[in-house]
Amino acid sequence: MSEISFPGTAVTDRRAAHGASADARLLRRISALQPVRLLVIGLSIAILLALIAYPLALLTGYSLIDAQGHLTFETFEKAFARRGMWQATVNSGWLVFFVTAGACALGIPLAWLVARTDAPGKSLVTLAAGISFVIPTFISVISWIFLAAPNSGYLNRLATGYLGFSSAPLNIMSFTGLVFIEIVGVYPLVFFAVNAALNNIDASHEQAARILGANRWRTTLTITLPMVRPAILSAVILVMLDALSSFGAPAAIGTMANFSVITTKIYDLLKFPPQFNYAAAVAMPILIFTAISLLIQKYAVRAENFRTLTGKATPEQIVKLGHWRWLAGGFCIVVALITAVLPVGALLLLSVLSSFGAPISLANLVGKHYALIFDENFAARASILHSMLLALAAATVCATLGLVLGWVVERFRFFGRELIGFLVMIAYGFPSIAYAVGILMGYVNLFYGTLTLILIAYAGKLLPIAFVLVRNGIQQLSTDLEEAARISGAGWLRSIKDVTFPLVRGSVGIAWVLVFSLSLRELSMSAILAQSDTQVMPTVVLQFIEDGAVELAAALAVIIVGVSLSMLAFIRLVTARKTATIS
Amino acid sequence: MPATAFAHEAAAAKPAAAPQAPARLELRNLRKSLGATAAVNGIDLKVAPGESVVLLGPSGCGKTTTLRMVAGFLQPDGGEVHLDGVLSSSATFALPPEKRRLGMVFQTYAIWPHKTVADNVAYGLEVAGRRRAEIRAEVAAVLDLVQLGALANRFPAELSGGQQQRVALARALATKPSLLLLDEPLSNLDASLREEMRFELRALQKNLGITTLYVTHDQDEALVLADRIVVMNKGRIEQIGTPEEVYRTPATRFVGSFIGIANLLEGEIATVDRAGERVLVALDIGGRVWSRAPRSWLDGAVTGGRATVLLRPQDIELEAAEHPGAEQPIAAAFLSESFLGEHYELKLAAGEALLRVQSRRRGTFADGRAQLWARPGSAWVVA
Repeated sequence: MSEISFPGTAVTDRRAAHGASADARLLRRISALQPVRLLVIGLSIAILLALIAYPLALLTGYSLIDAQGHLTFETFEKAFARRGMWQATVNSGWLVFFVTAGACALGIPLAWLVARTDAPGKSLVTLAAGISFVIPTFISVISWIFLAAPNSGYLNRLATGYLGFSSAPLNIMSFTGLVFIEIVGVYPLVFFAVNAALNNIDASHEQAARILGANRWRTTLTITLPMVRPAILSAVILVMLDALSSFGAPAAIGTMANFSVITTKIYDLLKFPPQFNYAAAVAMPILIFTAISLLIQKYAVRAENFRTLTGKATPEQIVKLGHWRWLAGGFCIVVALITAVLPVGALLLLSVLSSFGAPISLANLVGKHYALIFDENFAARASILHSMLLALAAATVCATLGLVLGWVVERFRFFGRELIGFLVMIAYGFPSIAYAVGILMGYVNLFYGTLTLILIAYAGKLLPIAFVLVRNGIQQLSTDLEEAARISGAGWLRSIKDVTFPLVRGSVGIAWVLVFSLSLRELSMSAILAQSDTQVMPTVVLQFIEDGAVELAAALAVIIVGVSLSMLAFIRLVTARKTATIS
Repeated sequence: MPATAFAHEAAAAKPAAAPQAPARLELRNLRKSLGATAAVNGIDLKVAPGESVVLLGPSGCGKTTTLRMVAGFLQPDGGEVHLDGVLSSSATFALPPEKRRLGMVFQTYAIWPHKTVADNVAYGLEVAGRRRAEIRAEVAAVLDLVQLGALANRFPAELSGGQQQRVALARALATKPSLLLLDEPLSNLDASLREEMRFELRALQKNLGITTLYVTHDQDEALVLADRIVVMNKGRIEQIGTPEEVYRTPATRFVGSFIGIANLLEGEIATVDRAGERVLVALDIGGRVWSRAPRSWLDGAVTGGRATVLLRPQDIELEAAEHPGAEQPIAAAFLSESFLGEHYELKLAAGEALLRVQSRRRGTFADGRAQLWARPGSAWVVA
């Protein structure tokens, strides 16, 4: 062993290199400052400020400051004194209330049935919830117009023609119809959150109660439900915010049924001539409500999160329903039918039906709506191109920014690090429609009528999703992995390239696909920002609905849903294979 | 340990062989606060080339913080880190980790899961811009050294914990660092493997003559691996010494009780024997014991002063031997006995104090009482 020895010449070399030379010392000092790091932090904060802080500050400023630059509440008074504005606010309030109540009434029992009982048809419910979650409400409106428009809806015709109803029982063109569509759109939030929480309760918590003498119902009420309360609360807040800021379905139905909510009022205020300060003032209640909800979420829900929600439901936790199981199964099937099968089927059928109202027969099935959509002299074709371009760009921008920001927040210890996370999450909670108003005010002079304007809005609004996903990915990477690269001699840029990026590539990919899919179906911001030359698929769909061309709307909607779903399926496939090879 | 092609340029620098060479690592009054607590509170240490120094202490004593400052992942609030005589860290300056020519084995191993074993080990050489053929040869040599030659093309997920640990070691050794840092590298292994790896690491360190700074809270690990042990507590160094020194002649009560099991007995000095470097202590629980003591303490020792005597459990004997004159036994009452294979572990009560005694043979107790004697020359006064 004597021929084995350790550092000899190399060390001496280094000593010589680092000798008394003043140049070498200066170089060492500069490299110790790590200018690339400073540049990255500075740049990412600058982009964040431009994307999020600037438009939000403008929005608040416009609503609170008059033309002379004085602080005033006059804008509010005038804005809400406008005709119909108060009614719209009340409508929004009722919408939030009914949708939240309905989503809980549907989502919580379903979650319990699926997670804890032997009801047949459980897997159908999960699938149906997934489908209705993916379909935006401005698209399901099309389906429900087809199914339940007064008189001409096919379900109504079925009822009057064959079931002996004297008049049409269903009317989707009403406030009730809107509530229904919104519930179907958002109940999956409650369902998935509660279902996951129920699945994650460690069986031992409930078993401990049973051992101590509590029967199953008592255990459910005193142990299980309190343990999933944080999940329910979180979901309720999300549902409320979703209902309050929803725009697609209210716009489509509101136009026909002649009522307004806050979001559609904002949209109206921005039609020519745009009244920015009124729009900003009207957006303020949504903003304040959002801020309060997020604060509640942060303090109330997180305070409850001491609960250890880990583990997996074991067979002993499954409740045997006995005779009730068939009733439960029936309920599951009805839910799946109404929330997924009927809407999807209606959408597909309508997109190939010669005209809305025509009898459903083979002879009436045509492809002309699709042909028209791809016709190069028609606006729809350009909108497909725009949407694809925007989705590609937004996904790439968000994935890149998410990676850099996630890394900065997770790995750098510097003052204001938390501010980055905070700013990003503000954008998340921010209602799209209000955010779009801010973007419009901030960048309209620079980018009026360009796709860039829409891209800025998409990127800012969807960045949080990419940020959270990638940040979680980085969080799961032990810092040791990067430090090991540093100690092996790699500078930090190289350590990112060789270690961090390859290991979070999966999260970045998922973030990219999600942002891509969400961009394709984004309506509220697009409706405000798109001009005649920059229409995107969702705005064209909305236009078709408002013009009564529901068949064309259905065909274009099928394309949106088809592309989103295939992207999601693709990433699912890729990640499944990835994890298989790694583990 | 196979003697392979993993050979180096010059003969191993023996500790203190080259007095003109600067210490491989020198810490000068190093300080670091984490939050409100002073994690490292003024540490001075020199590590000579080829030496193996172990930082030992309970969790939160600042040993890992110290190591991370040496690595360059943390910047000190005060004091300096010198590597090979060159300033590497101070409150105002920090050489990036990649410029320090170090090797490090992490507690979690930190093996990159997306690279094969060979690619993991090769990384440092690739970054250094070495030629491909050269890299391949070096990687093969270092993998042979840690007995992983056959697994070069596996991915880390396919390896056992012990094998991953060897990969981490090989990766750290491949670049022939001037100083190897090890952060509790064995703490994630199971007990028997941990014990085996201790001896293997020590043999490797000695054979390669590599300078190491090793952090652990495991005293057995420290005793096996160290040329010198640095015992740390609350951000300060309690004692620096060879394993024998810190075990037999601990400088403080903390060192005495942290390394090994300690019976710490208070008493009054009855006789001071400066020539023999010992004092006779009349223990508060009864009995008189001749106890060696540090010279500095002896200088101030006077008859009637207080002293704390350290007696290891295996140095307490139940049989009365031929004891010269002044010593007297401690009378103790039997509390419990456990058989631990190599010895019996006895718990005895002497007055208020609980005494722990390890004995090869089962003790005999008359009416549950026994006379305890200190093995001659074993007692030590803790300052």
